[in-house]
Amino acid sequence: MVDNTLTEKVLLATGGYDHTIKLWHANTGVCNRSLTHLDSQVNALEITPDRQLLAAAGFQHIRMYDLNSSNPNPILNYEGISKNITGVGFHEDGKWMFTCGEDCSARVWDLRSRNLQCQRIFQTTAPITSICLHPNQGELILGDQSGLLHLWDLKTDHNEQLIPEVDASIQCVAIDSSANYVASVNNKGNCYLWSYNGNGTRLSPEHKINAHRKYALHCKFSPDSTLLVTTSADQSALIWKTSDFSLKQELKDQRQRWVWDTAFSNDSEHLLTASSDGMARLWNIESDNIEREYEGHQKSLTALAFCDPYS
Amino acid sequence: MALYDSKHWLLSHIRNSFISSDDTGISEVVMGGENVLQTISTSKYDTYPGIEDNEEEEELAESLDIHTEFGVRRQRSHTAVQLERLQRNMMKSANVRHVKWEITPVSLTDEEKAELFPKKDISHQKKNYVSELSKLLKACPYLPINPFREYSKYDGNAQLGEATRKYSMFITMLNLERRNYPMQVSIIATAKVHDLIGLVCWKCTIEYPDCTLKDSVDCYALYIAEDDGEIDFDFPCLDSRETVAKFGFGFLAIVERDSKFAPSTSNHSPTSQEGNSVLSENVNTKAQQQLEGELNKLLAIEAPLYQLYHVNILNKVRAKIEIHLGISGQKIELDPVVKQRSSSTFPWTKQKPATYDMDCVVACDLTETKSNNRAVLRLVYDSTALSSSIGDSAPSQQGTAVWSNFKHHDFEAEQKVAEDIVQKINNILELRCSVRRQEYISLRERKSHRRRSFHLGPR
Repeated sequence: MVDNTLTEKVLLATGGYDHTIKLWHANTGVCNRSLTHLDSQVNALEITPDRQLLAAAGFQHIRMYDLNSSNPNPILNYEGISKNITGVGFHEDGKWMFTCGEDCSARVWDLRSRNLQCQRIFQTTAPITSICLHPNQGELILGDQSGLLHLWDLKTDHNEQLIPEVDASIQCVAIDSSANYVASVNNKGNCYLWSYNGNGTRLSPEHKINAHRKYALHCKFSPDSTLLVTTSADQSALIWKTSDFSLKQELKDQRQRWVWDTAFSNDSEHLLTASSDGMARLWNIESDNIEREYEGHQKSLTALAFCDPYS
Repeated sequence: MALYDSKHWLLSHIRNSFISSDDTGISEVVMGGENVLQTISTSKYDTYPGIEDNEEEEELAESLDIHTEFGVRRQRSHTAVQLERLQRNMMKSANVRHVKWEITPVSLTDEEKAELFPKKDISHQKKNYVSELSKLLKACPYLPINPFREYSKYDGNAQLGEATRKYSMFITMLNLERRNYPMQVSIIATAKVHDLIGLVCWKCTIEYPDCTLKDSVDCYALYIAEDDGEIDFDFPCLDSRETVAKFGFGFLAIVERDSKFAPSTSNHSPTSQEGNSVLSENVNTKAQQQLEGELNKLLAIEAPLYQLYHVNILNKVRAKIEIHLGISGQKIELDPVVKQRSSSTFPWTKQKPATYDMDCVVACDLTETKSNNRAVLRLVYDSTALSSSIGDSAPSQQGTAVWSNFKHHDFEAEQKVAEDIVQKINNILELRCSVRRQEYISLRERKSHRRRSFHLGPR
């Protein structure tokens, strides 16, 4: 028998254009809750490290939902931003939250309600499309529409820019969990990889993959850093090996449309994808089989959040 | 504050009550033209807001004390709807803590920054790559594929901000005791009837895992139902290509298609004796089981309807005479079939036409089943209370029922017909629960206690 508490520990949330966020039983494909996300699409979803809250980034708001109640409405609303918020994430201890948006800024929000010491802002000249946190918890990596990759050191406030390709908008940035590689994908479908050297302080270009023929949307490293997934408007998700940057698997389905977001299972054997056909899918990476489908959204899915805890 | 001693309040209240509760709108026409409130003299202490707002037409019909929630009189304006939505959102957001972006007034020193944003050493991280999800997946590697899963997306309960329709759905595939409780189904308004069927099947598979369903939505149809679960077979099933929003029925029933629901056709025509007795052959056995409950209910409801049966009456010398037995909720009529040449000239074989009021009839039972597929049934009636057939209606001696007062007729008919007649009459008797019947039953019981081995009297 499947342990019930185990089922509840694995969290899967999806959101998109239909103004709802759905929570799923990842192993059965049954939707167990729907949350309201009024007046806006969902650009990004993230579960807090303590697994209590779900953050949804939308137009002008970051809304937080209580995962342990049945309340379909948000309990926290972060606001005061003029445009779309495109990315959201958390410090590993939940001390602060970071966001990026089309208002050309990246922000660090202090999650303590009274003390706002940690509030920080970083501004650039182009809308920021993607943000990720270095595993050392002290650096943020941002990609913007002008094609610049920014490295923002929170400790020193020093920042560094990299230009992988001119006249190409960076769509997504990613860093692997052991901080060996940084990846970015752009609207030309190309994926650029850098590696850290010099004691993990300097980034140097490592590889370029002509990953997709169309607009690339998303990239992410697997938890064990051996795999990289890139997704695209060409309706596929491609799995690359980080050892030699060769293609390992192509995850494609007739019904699948643009693939906007992904998440690896903690053992890097499965991949979850969110697609414009309104479905999320669970793939077995080795066999490229679809093991589960999560169906229930009325419109495109653009974001998913997945929590696969190891006990 | 509205007080009952305020003339204005009372007037305004009565006036608005008339206007808002009159669906024909005549009250509004009559009262709309004149404003009585204005004609009443007001002292300077009589302040009531209804007077000031007289100029505006909108205010005229609106009492401060009547809040018509759903626009009893007229459609609410777009603005009103929007305002209400805003208000609702405000209420909702009252439970939400809002955090506005603000910059710390004092800028952090380098030391503070270093303290607040320390860099973690990640060179010696111990990693654990165990996946709970994979564990769960391994626990059930072959999840059976639910053919109705694709319809789960139409579930209205999981939608927020979409127009939905709610239905109470009777599921005829379930066993008897659960079938009478409708399942609440909410579906998005743009879905098709086909999708609604799929959604109901999907919910069935989740809520009643022991209920076996056919694999395709095409095996099922939706019928209009009453709130007690009775299915209205007079109407055809809902067209599965139509959108659900087109149908405004609150109660529906899902029915397996191949059963065709025979009772709907066979129970109606009052003259068909043979067809009535047998359910159409196309009903398969499973469907028949499923429908048993419905069928009995239908029969009970239709029992008082007049129906004519072709039977033979058995008189004292066991001679058969063909008669028409007409049964309705009020009475039972015996009519000998008139033949050109009488088969018998013996006077005792003649059967007079007779009518028995249902109140006199106390019992009807099958007494004998013959091998040639025919059966004998006995109709027992209270002869003292007979009215029309005897002519003089003897005053019934209430409470002093005597065994000899009960007489009987024996009829012979085809077994199915006989069973039908017995059931129909018993259904009627149950509905009426007359005093005589109760007397008869108690008398019979006493009698059977007294002489267990003998059954001489009419039973």
